[in-house]
Amino acid sequence: MQTAVAVEPVRSSSSVSSRVASNLFIDFFRNIVQYREYLKQSVARDLRRRYKRSVLGYIWSMLNPLLMMTILAIVFSNIMRHSVHDYAVFLFSGMLTWTYFSSTSQGCLGTIRANARIMEQVPVPKYIFPLSVGFSGLVDLLLSFVPLLLVMIVVGHDIPVTIFAVPLVLLPLFCITMGISLICAVSNVFFEDTQHLVEVIFRAVYYLCPVLYTREHLPQWLVKWASLNPMFGLIEMMRGLIYDGQLPDAEKYFTNFGGCLVVLMIGLWIFRRADRKFIYFL
Amino acid sequence: MASQPMMMSDSELSPEQVPPPRAEEDIAVKIEGVSVAFRSYKERPTTLKEALIKFVRTGQFRYYSNFYALKNVSFSVQRGQVLGIIGSNGAGKSTLLRTIAGVLPPTEGTVTVNGSLDSLIQLGAGFDSELNAIENIYLNSSLRRRSRAQIKARIPHILEFAELEEFATTPIKYYSSGMYARLGFAVAIERDPDILIVDEVLAVGDERFQEKCRAVFQRFLDQKKTIIIVSHGMTSLEKLADTIVLLSKGQVVYVGDPKTAIEKYRDADYQTALGHA
Repeated sequence: MQTAVAVEPVRSSSSVSSRVASNLFIDFFRNIVQYREYLKQSVARDLRRRYKRSVLGYIWSMLNPLLMMTILAIVFSNIMRHSVHDYAVFLFSGMLTWTYFSSTSQGCLGTIRANARIMEQVPVPKYIFPLSVGFSGLVDLLLSFVPLLLVMIVVGHDIPVTIFAVPLVLLPLFCITMGISLICAVSNVFFEDTQHLVEVIFRAVYYLCPVLYTREHLPQWLVKWASLNPMFGLIEMMRGLIYDGQLPDAEKYFTNFGGCLVVLMIGLWIFRRADRKFIYFL
Repeated sequence: MASQPMMMSDSELSPEQVPPPRAEEDIAVKIEGVSVAFRSYKERPTTLKEALIKFVRTGQFRYYSNFYALKNVSFSVQRGQVLGIIGSNGAGKSTLLRTIAGVLPPTEGTVTVNGSLDSLIQLGAGFDSELNAIENIYLNSSLRRRSRAQIKARIPHILEFAELEEFATTPIKYYSSGMYARLGFAVAIERDPDILIVDEVLAVGDERFQEKCRAVFQRFLDQKKTIIIVSHGMTSLEKLADTIVLLSKGQVVYVGDPKTAIEKYRDADYQTALGHA
């Protein structure tokens, strides 16, 4: 048992090219389990830090998105008056899905640099640092269900039972987010200014996702292309569960899940390839 | 740079220097044909913008030349042996240690480690200065896959050894450098590995603490643990080590008897990276 522990980091990196995709996945999920204690610690630390800083703590961190949401809701509910009822709930359900995706990915930009000193001392699979960002983002996402439910009650939108099926969508969401996060993390090791590029790309993709609108508002040809992005479907499915009270269509769900896994695999593959070069760049 | 015509004539291993072949399980660390190439950059573009501008101007993306910090290094360490690594500055000692520790993947060759391995390189490198001692112990140990219960059980010992019980809940950014080093050493030593890598760190803290460190080290020796040590203290190394590896410019010049190795190191023929650069 202990033997394998010490040998693994060296071996795994020296035979990267020969590894098949399934090994990337198995390693990835096995490492999540093996480093669960670190991940737990790290998430707890993140939360403590974020919520201890200010007196308002948790309330403050909820207030900020809530305020943004209110403004957006006021502005857009007039524009969308005829097509979407309870726009605030509609907006919130899409927004929290997107926010998790985009803030985790962008939050991972600096993770490798920030943990450089650890990597120089302890042989660890380096994606545990982006992973911990991904997990603390998940906690934030779950916490934001509190204001969401509040909004639903205030607006008078019925809370559907399907809201309990949210974890079903969180799984593929986590996979695609980690895939993109890993790519972001890699890019920033080699070039310090990639966050500007990443920001622009994310903004563009954001407007191509049905956060502010539904797919009916877009021209057909655009939907065809924009929905190739798994996030498009994920936002719709999440909204289905929270806003419409609708379970996702099985075929759509699994196709989407497959797309998310492909993104994760690409991310893992790129990360593995770059992995051994990190130490020279930090 | 690659060829070394001035290589010493006795650099090849003569038969009596090669340790007698033993069963595989007796070998704690085996290093086979390990080379580590660093890229030495003249001017590495650190931003994407810079890289693109340079690419447009010069039409190339590569700005480095390879520099071998280690070249075709092979040797093995028997279980329970104390192995010393010596060499001048820039000979590749630290690179070799980091490669064995698993944090620096070799460009070529393989490193095989049998048993749990821990390193006392850069003590306290994984610490977060915003956190206190206990939180840092959790963080550091969890990176080595310790369970919560295991870590919890160790905390009193670590604090006691580091003599930091009073300051256990003080963020370590307020620690003195001695306290910091003591915590680092205590955390590392508590892990009780089969193989220990030491990079001249036995000189932390005051004299009393150093005495404690020496006692621990002695205990490790008595328990017949495998120890790999880098040092410039030839006298102590000659006493401690069973075998010494002499490095020169990233290559193994000699493996074997400590006395001979040190003689060779002090010999006028020994090549330093500085003198022949």
